[in-house]
Amino acid sequence: MLPDLPDRLPALRCPPGASLSVRMVAERQHQLQVLRGVVQPDAVWLDAGAMVTAWHAGGVGYAASADLSAAGLQAAADRALAWAATVGRLGLFAGIELPRPSARGVSWRSPVERPLPARAELLAELLVESAALRRDERIVHWAATLRQVEGRHRLFLDGEPVADQRFAFVEPNLEATAAQAGRSQTRTLGGQYNGFCMQGGDEVIARSGLRGGGERIGEEALQLLMAPNCPSGPMSLLLEPDQMLLQIHESIGHPLELDRILGDERNFAGTSFVTPDMFGHYRYGSPLLDVSFDPGVPGQYASYGVDDEGAAAQPVRLIERGVLMRPLGGALSVARAAALGHRLQGTANARASGWHRPPIDRMGNINVEPGSSSLPEMIRATERGVLMRTNVSWSIDDSRNKFQFGCEWGRLIIDGELGPVVRNPNYRGVSATFWRSLAAVGSADEVRHLGTPYCGKGEPGQVARVGHAAPPCLFHGVDVFGAEA
Amino acid sequence: MSGDAAAPLLERGLPLLDRIGSAARPGEVVLGWLRAESSDFVRFNHGRVRQAGSVERALLELRLVRDARQATLQFVLSGHEATDADRLGAALTELRGLLADSQPDPWLALCEQPREQITRLAPALPPREALCDTVCAAAGDADLVGFYAGGALACGFASSLGHRLWHEASPWFFDHSVQVGGDRAVKATLSWPAWDAQALAAGIARARRDAAILARPVRTLPPGGYRAWLSPTAMAELIGMLNWGGFSAAALRSGHSPLTGLAEGGQRFSPMVSLADDLAAGGLPRFQSEGFARPDRLPLVQAGAWSGSLVSPRSAREFGLTGTGADAAETAQALSLAGGDLPEADALRRLGTGLAVSNFWYLNWSDRAAARITGMTRFATLWVEDGEPVAPVAVMRFDDSLYRLLGSELEALSQVPARLPDTQTYDHRSFGLSLTPGALVSRLSFTL
Repeated sequence: MLPDLPDRLPALRCPPGASLSVRMVAERQHQLQVLRGVVQPDAVWLDAGAMVTAWHAGGVGYAASADLSAAGLQAAADRALAWAATVGRLGLFAGIELPRPSARGVSWRSPVERPLPARAELLAELLVESAALRRDERIVHWAATLRQVEGRHRLFLDGEPVADQRFAFVEPNLEATAAQAGRSQTRTLGGQYNGFCMQGGDEVIARSGLRGGGERIGEEALQLLMAPNCPSGPMSLLLEPDQMLLQIHESIGHPLELDRILGDERNFAGTSFVTPDMFGHYRYGSPLLDVSFDPGVPGQYASYGVDDEGAAAQPVRLIERGVLMRPLGGALSVARAAALGHRLQGTANARASGWHRPPIDRMGNINVEPGSSSLPEMIRATERGVLMRTNVSWSIDDSRNKFQFGCEWGRLIIDGELGPVVRNPNYRGVSATFWRSLAAVGSADEVRHLGTPYCGKGEPGQVARVGHAAPPCLFHGVDVFGAEA
Repeated sequence: MSGDAAAPLLERGLPLLDRIGSAARPGEVVLGWLRAESSDFVRFNHGRVRQAGSVERALLELRLVRDARQATLQFVLSGHEATDADRLGAALTELRGLLADSQPDPWLALCEQPREQITRLAPALPPREALCDTVCAAAGDADLVGFYAGGALACGFASSLGHRLWHEASPWFFDHSVQVGGDRAVKATLSWPAWDAQALAAGIARARRDAAILARPVRTLPPGGYRAWLSPTAMAELIGMLNWGGFSAAALRSGHSPLTGLAEGGQRFSPMVSLADDLAAGGLPRFQSEGFARPDRLPLVQAGAWSGSLVSPRSAREFGLTGTGADAAETAQALSLAGGDLPEADALRRLGTGLAVSNFWYLNWSDRAAARITGMTRFATLWVEDGEPVAPVAVMRFDDSLYRLLGSELEALSQVPARLPDTQTYDHRSFGLSLTPGALVSRLSFTL
């Protein structure tokens, strides 16, 4: 069961003119895994606690505690008030009206079409796929995993309910590693970091391809083991949705985060090549590029009703026909930008990774909108290129500009036809110019909703859930390369 | 905000761990791993406080074993004895239900030798208010960005077999950079045990002086191979990649280790390279989350040759190996690269002409099997001519093999390894650190 959260808040004392919000989070995770043919011990994680945020004396401070008693919350409030006073005296916010939660009484929950089967049934399914993954003795590692997460987030401002949100996440995955003669190759269902993750119930497992997917994943690992190296040179690049997710994440999502643009992350996660004066006119990509922040897509991994600063979530277009329109900035970041003379429209995207971390700008669901090309059409339109699937390696500079990404799976495209499988496909480029080479965008029925549970950012560090949906996309003139030998 | 004494984690944590010893029913073994922190976090931007707060959090991972079956359940502690006793009871009830429906675990490993060890290091934390005042005053009009994290931190283990282990300290660090515009900055990290406000102010003043050269016109270099001096921080990033499964026994046997070539003897690093997991030098706890003892120092690479892997209790059972007390992830907690013979003060003179790299960033494998990595330069990369820094260099992407950078291209290591705390605070703070010298390499390959 999900840990209990109190239904009512005790009255918390604070000085006249001060405000207190209480954000309570409860979460339960349960992981089932069959690893190298052996059922792993069940692992359950329960967490529950509250963050009290205080606005006082021109500053804002926080304190987090798992002590949800009246005395515990009051102690956290007192500490948050003291921090707020320090921030008011030494903080960045002189002359800025610090925003408070603006939503009221919002109730929201993940859509669940069908409840997950019982544990024994799920484990039996994982055992079937685990056996199917091991096609022969060259498969030296194989795993079938299912993680289910329930969560409840409650937010109050000065005792008034702001939001009550209930989440249900499902993260299935399959993985096989084939090895022989000093070479090894890994193939997965949704990437090595659970790219196939959504909100919902049994329907998520059904859509993921886990059922019956073990044989395909195992066979593809063996194919990769015997495949030639990916060729090198400038050529066309056709990215499937499970690599588009990483491309969107690193070279659109992160650069548009307004707290980065305002410099908060320069000591850790990095800055951005995007500057506040670019919004409204900067050509980010070709006219085929439309990108949305959409927290309302049913079942997408980072859908929600209210962000952790208490702003009601609304879909907005970040990039329209290739032109940069909006940053990913929550209410506080937008107020800070305005104080610097930049009147930007933001998004409800201030989120925290748990009750023990404060909200910062996070990307939520960032989606490339579908176009009008089909995957077969894009293949036919490619003279020489590589189709790549499933991210395996990612690296991008401090400003989110110079990147190098690698995939698990590649297939050559020669004269409009799919060719042989190639191993270790990699490519590199520069965000500021890469999206301008977008030559075709797949259609709506080719869109896949993916994401990652592991987006890292912030001081203190936070690992957030983010969603990315995209169809396959074609780029021209990309620097592609393969492995060492 | 004046209470700066460490929170009494020991007083709150040990009584709960002691309950574990008597929680088992006949035929059961109950084990508990507790992590607790009482943390202050302060972010700075533009020399002012950006975000400040405190976090009190304690998590108990409870493991129940019966008839060779096991399951784990982690829950958060409220700090109230009666509430937490109830949670402990509820957790055991749920675990008993899971075991009733479980299979025997062939990789089950229990530490059957009970022992007791309580370590509590005296707190040496900076006063909170003074910390903020000191940083803001020292920053002045400089564009300082930084992060302070500090407070009591503890881990403990107890079992119905008789274990009673506790390690508590009050580590802190102040990780910061003085920015000069664009993506250029002078980066530094101060850390425990010594807190010295004057030293912090002097350090920020020095960073401001050092930042002057970064304001010169930026030089953009074409891709290619360059002679380079890699600072200890840059080297820590580089050898940190070895912790991505490099020494893991499970990774080696499941085709995931980047060091398979080294482990199987087909590859070698330079004889200058000796690596160890040096818990003693790092002052880290000598027990892990399942109660197994960890050695003071575990050699991993000696004089360029493979010495041994990190073996968790489960890997020991699965692969028939001798365990080394590694955690489940089989990563080094205090990865230590031995120093060489190059006085750091002579590093640029020995470099002559080439690049001085302060930091790397966002490293990842471009060909894991070949131990080939890619990554970016970050903060301060300088073009050096005849031993003198001349100009900052625009960030560049490198793509090279660790067998070259720590092998054929390695000319020298500096004499004294730097002690670099683990500044990652994802989910929780840690005791981890690395000990790393700087390195002179004859060629580092840049691609973009």
